[in-house]
Amino acid sequence: MNRKRRNLGGIPTTSTSDISFLMLVFFLSTTTFDIKKGLGLVLPPASEPGAQKAKIKEENITKVWINKDGAIRVNEEDVALDKLERRIRNVVKDNPDMVISLKTDRKSKYDYMVRVLDLLQAAGAEKISLSTN
Amino acid sequence: MAKVKRNKKPETGIPTTSMGDISFLLLLFFMVSTVFVKEKGLDVMLPKAKSIVKIPRKHAATIYVNRSGVISIDDYAVEIPLVSIIMQQKIADDINLITCFRTDKDTNYGIMSDILQQLKEANTLRVQFEAKLKR
Repeated sequence: MNRKRRNLGGIPTTSTSDISFLMLVFFLSTTTFDIKKGLGLVLPPASEPGAQKAKIKEENITKVWINKDGAIRVNEEDVALDKLERRIRNVVKDNPDMVISLKTDRKSKYDYMVRVLDLLQAAGAEKISLSTN
Repeated sequence: MAKVKRNKKPETGIPTTSMGDISFLLLLFFMVSTVFVKEKGLDVMLPKAKSIVKIPRKHAATIYVNRSGVISIDDYAVEIPLVSIIMQQKIADDINLITCFRTDKDTNYGIMSDILQQLKEANTLRVQFEAKLKR
């Protein structure tokens, strides 16, 4: 018995790769890998008039100053940039409650501040106070 | 006259059947990883640092500051006194907001100090200073 051959219906798939390549090119050209990376910090809250300030003992504060030329002073003593990390590491090791107060000259470059902040964090300082003057 | 049958040569060619699969796979990867940039921002040269951490993009609000001191938030150039008002609105929308600074390395720190003061007033205390990895 001869069967009639049915015309099988189907979706033409020959152009799928063309379509997907077109979309691929679109996504390739628009994609930006937006991975943000940086140094984190929590600022101290702004002091409100009348509010009581939490007092920190003077011996628990290490003052780090950066002048407009990028020179660094730690507690009134000049420190070279490459020796700062070790210095702060020792300070934090001796007193884990130590607060590092970082003060930067207004005429200084932002780069100097980031460089020092990076070293402070690399030295394991967790309590860093960024003073705004 | 009898026809002489020629030997059929085996066809040589690149198989293209899996081309669609490959391209769809690539397409899927790019679709998943694509982030459409919301703001143009300013052209800045970021400082370099060693101990950088990843910033969760979900809660980040970026402040651009270029070397001449122009501040841009959401592609609008803003003056320093307006920063606290804008950031107050942003922290009201997202309590876990992290302010991300994309500041040029040669910017005067005085401008940054003023912006940080504004952030303190707006009570947006979590900040990140964007930097490139120092190798």
